[in-house]
Amino acid sequence: MRFKSFDVIPHGTTFDFVGKRHIAVALSLAANLAVIVWAMPFVHGLNFGVDFAGGTEMEVKFGKQVDPGVIRRSVEELGFKDASVQTYGPEADNSYLIRVGRIALLGADEVATVAKAVSAKFPIQGAPSFNPELGDKIDFQFQGVQPTTAELKSVIEAAGVRVREVREEAGLAAGTHSFAVITYGIQDKVERDLQSRFAAEKPEVRRVEYVGPAVGRELRNQGFKAILLAMGLIVLYVGVRFDFRFSPGVIIALLHDAVITFGFFAFTGREFNLTSVAVILTVVGYSVNDTVVVYDRIRENQGKFQGKRLAEIVNLSINDVLGRTFLTSFATALSLIGLLIFGVGTIWDFSMAMLVGIVSGTYSTWFIAAPMTIWLEERAAKAKARAA
Amino acid sequence: MERAWYWRVALIAGVTLFSLYELVPSWYYFSLPPDQRNGAEYEKSVPRWAPDPNRHLNLGLDLQGGILLSMGVDVDRAVKAKVARRADEIGDFLKEKGLTVTAAGTSPDGARVEIRGPDTAKIADTVLDHYGSEMNAPGGAPAGAVWFGFKPKTIQDFKSKAVEQAEKTIRNRVDKWGVTEPDIKRKANSQIQIQLPGFKDPEKAKELLGRTAQLEFKIADDASTALDGVRGKLPPCPGDEGLMKLPLPDTGCWTVERVELPGGGAREETMIAATRRDQLEAAIDKYAKPLIAPDQEIGIGESSVGTGPVRDRYYRTYLLHAKTELTGDYIADARAATDTSSTGMNRPVVVFTMSPEGARLMEKLTSANLGRRMATVLDGKVETAPYIQGKIAANGQITLGQQRGFQEMFQEASDIALVLKAGALPAPVTISEERTVGATLGPELVKKGTTAALLGFLLVVLFMIAYYRASGLIADVALLLNGLLVLAIMAIVGSTLTLPGIAGFVLTLGMAVDANVLINERIREELRAGKTVKQSVDQGYDKVFWTIVDSHVTTLSAGVVLMNYGSGPVRGFAVTLIIGLAASMFTSIVVTRAIMDFFTRRDTARLSV
Repeated sequence: MRFKSFDVIPHGTTFDFVGKRHIAVALSLAANLAVIVWAMPFVHGLNFGVDFAGGTEMEVKFGKQVDPGVIRRSVEELGFKDASVQTYGPEADNSYLIRVGRIALLGADEVATVAKAVSAKFPIQGAPSFNPELGDKIDFQFQGVQPTTAELKSVIEAAGVRVREVREEAGLAAGTHSFAVITYGIQDKVERDLQSRFAAEKPEVRRVEYVGPAVGRELRNQGFKAILLAMGLIVLYVGVRFDFRFSPGVIIALLHDAVITFGFFAFTGREFNLTSVAVILTVVGYSVNDTVVVYDRIRENQGKFQGKRLAEIVNLSINDVLGRTFLTSFATALSLIGLLIFGVGTIWDFSMAMLVGIVSGTYSTWFIAAPMTIWLEERAAKAKARAA
Repeated sequence: MERAWYWRVALIAGVTLFSLYELVPSWYYFSLPPDQRNGAEYEKSVPRWAPDPNRHLNLGLDLQGGILLSMGVDVDRAVKAKVARRADEIGDFLKEKGLTVTAAGTSPDGARVEIRGPDTAKIADTVLDHYGSEMNAPGGAPAGAVWFGFKPKTIQDFKSKAVEQAEKTIRNRVDKWGVTEPDIKRKANSQIQIQLPGFKDPEKAKELLGRTAQLEFKIADDASTALDGVRGKLPPCPGDEGLMKLPLPDTGCWTVERVELPGGGAREETMIAATRRDQLEAAIDKYAKPLIAPDQEIGIGESSVGTGPVRDRYYRTYLLHAKTELTGDYIADARAATDTSSTGMNRPVVVFTMSPEGARLMEKLTSANLGRRMATVLDGKVETAPYIQGKIAANGQITLGQQRGFQEMFQEASDIALVLKAGALPAPVTISEERTVGATLGPELVKKGTTAALLGFLLVVLFMIAYYRASGLIADVALLLNGLLVLAIMAIVGSTLTLPGIAGFVLTLGMAVDANVLINERIREELRAGKTVKQSVDQGYDKVFWTIVDSHVTTLSAGVVLMNYGSGPVRGFAVTLIIGLAASMFTSIVVTRAIMDFFTRRDTARLSV
């Protein structure tokens, strides 16, 4: 009895992947270049989340529907010119993400005003220190007569800055006294303003994140390094397990998938943050799976059909495992459907980008990774012929 | 069936039962309403036969609400403070050596010590002779002055030690609050990251963690009768044969403590006690503050009555001289030890080492106050107030009070050593990253996440049955076990479930069936080639085994990199991914094979694949 089965991709398919490699490579190269150019800061750039750009982000839920434009205007009126407001999750949730680029509410002018008011009453030593990258905190030092925390607070409040806490700290040297003045920050200002302006809509701040610009830059660099490290490890592993002749193909396919996934964030303008790095890393780790399946088959077929040209063997191998490379990706993609339907915000982005990565991974296995090996072999053969 | 098959089935059954057993605490944990989960209620609800109640699945910050803080340690300011203090010391030191010093301060930028005097060459020599191991004398000072700077290595050591100490201090403080599953780590750029899941009050967290908390040594003023005046205003503390009996009245109460005075005398000193700190503070403000002199201060300490588990804590006062004689900055090291001297009776003590400058100051202080009590004040609280038994210089020792069990005293000695060593934040900290998740957001996300996961799972299961029929069903059984195993391992290792973690969980379900797709496709191929069912199954599993291993290893390596890079929720994703992949190696190969072997045990077996 002959075995029969239903196959999505009929077995015995003979598609000429190797022959189409020039078109595929040109297409992929164009797509990759487009992503990279688009992501350049002076062309379009990326929509960095607070994780990477630094700044303050608040998730606010309203009881009724509110026009995000109105929210943005009111936040801008508070002096945050770079404010962005976007709907977060489904429309019916009435949740909005408010982002401003700063983490400190205080500006240099206000600090100067405060310093003047304080120095009129107490002997300040040196200039008060304030760092807008660290938050709403001014450090004062006094020589000789020192104010009490309550006095300092009232003087600063009289200068028009709301103080949350005055903390006495050990002085730098004997005879001096230090005070850290912590003032109310962006969250407080925005929250109070929204509450008075949209009293009927009952705004509720559900989540606040703020990341200092220095931390953001570091996270960005580390994320980039992490992706490269993961790629390096994978290439090394595949090289050791198979043959370093396969490595260039793997590297190119990995880079391709990473860039395409990155392209999802670049072209849709979705927030690029820590989770996005997680997606790219996962795509890098997962997309190579299909490639491994094909390479395994190439190795098996090389043993079976000795004397055949490599191009033929590669073509045969890709066709042999066409069904399974498609089906594995399909099964993994299926598991993401729930997240795409019920996921909100970051998680939806995660799932969508993962889906893009999975599709790209399968495509690159068929058209890039394996055919690339031939191209490199041919070049090596030509170089050898020329040398001889 | 072969013998090995029975072993494998026994292993699978064992793993399944073990997973179910390990998930018992989690079951009880999640059947409670969210606000009762982290309390005594939960521990009581877990049956006695179940595993340790602490081994339950934890919800991450994003799912149960909480706070993540990154604190930057202001090391530059700490260095400046060190320079300023060193300037004072050098000034004193030179005067002791008999040199003329007209000014001892810092250079305008605060980075160097600047000493002015008539004989700058002599000053430079004397200072470098004593401090040469840590400092050098760079040029560039204005006429009539010498500059001294710390060597780069000293500064670097000092900075890294400052961050290390700050981390210890923060850990120490967080531990005292009893937050469940706090996560504290040191990061680059003098940053410390703290995660407090379920912590409701971010303002309080920031205030408590941000406080510099100076450790101070103060001398007790036991000869003063100032506090006797409260006796007419407060009730005496209830007592039983000289021992205090709790509860104390809400207003606070007074009692006496027998204190020894330098020179051999003793007297009964009045003190105020109360059950809670705020009650004691109120009583002090109202009755005691008006009685004391400007150079006196009232310290608050904790004490206890009774022994063993029924010990009751209360708060009490100490009358101190207001002047801070010495700060914790001078302590180089502290540890718990046993007193092996002839009078020590092998009791646990705290041994500490002062820095050279500290040793000088400590010697001065202790020799002037022999026989008096010296209070160690941390964060405004008197930790201990032992009598100064002898002159202390570089190496000091703190004897503990009341005789108790060795274990208990040793623990206390270790605690005090920790406080001495890491009690004060060595430098001010500022918050550079803050993520607060409100409590209402979490449950909503949990609900959506679970629905999404279930839908994803269902689709994968249906697809496998539709495409591979019986073989698909076998893979689905394995998949179910995979999910169970992942959750159980997460509960055992105590990792937290975050929203990206749920995504990771779903994704690993999808990846787990990949292995079965590969196996089943291979079996189809072998069947097509005309092999028997039994042969095909054997070949199918054998030939794709390494392919499956390879694909798991590559994804795992990405997961490991991510785990080291990410923080918070993203780390949760990486952990879930790693556990999921490891579990799927077992379920998709071992479990499906065992079931498959059972159904294809006869040569005439048929298989729908």
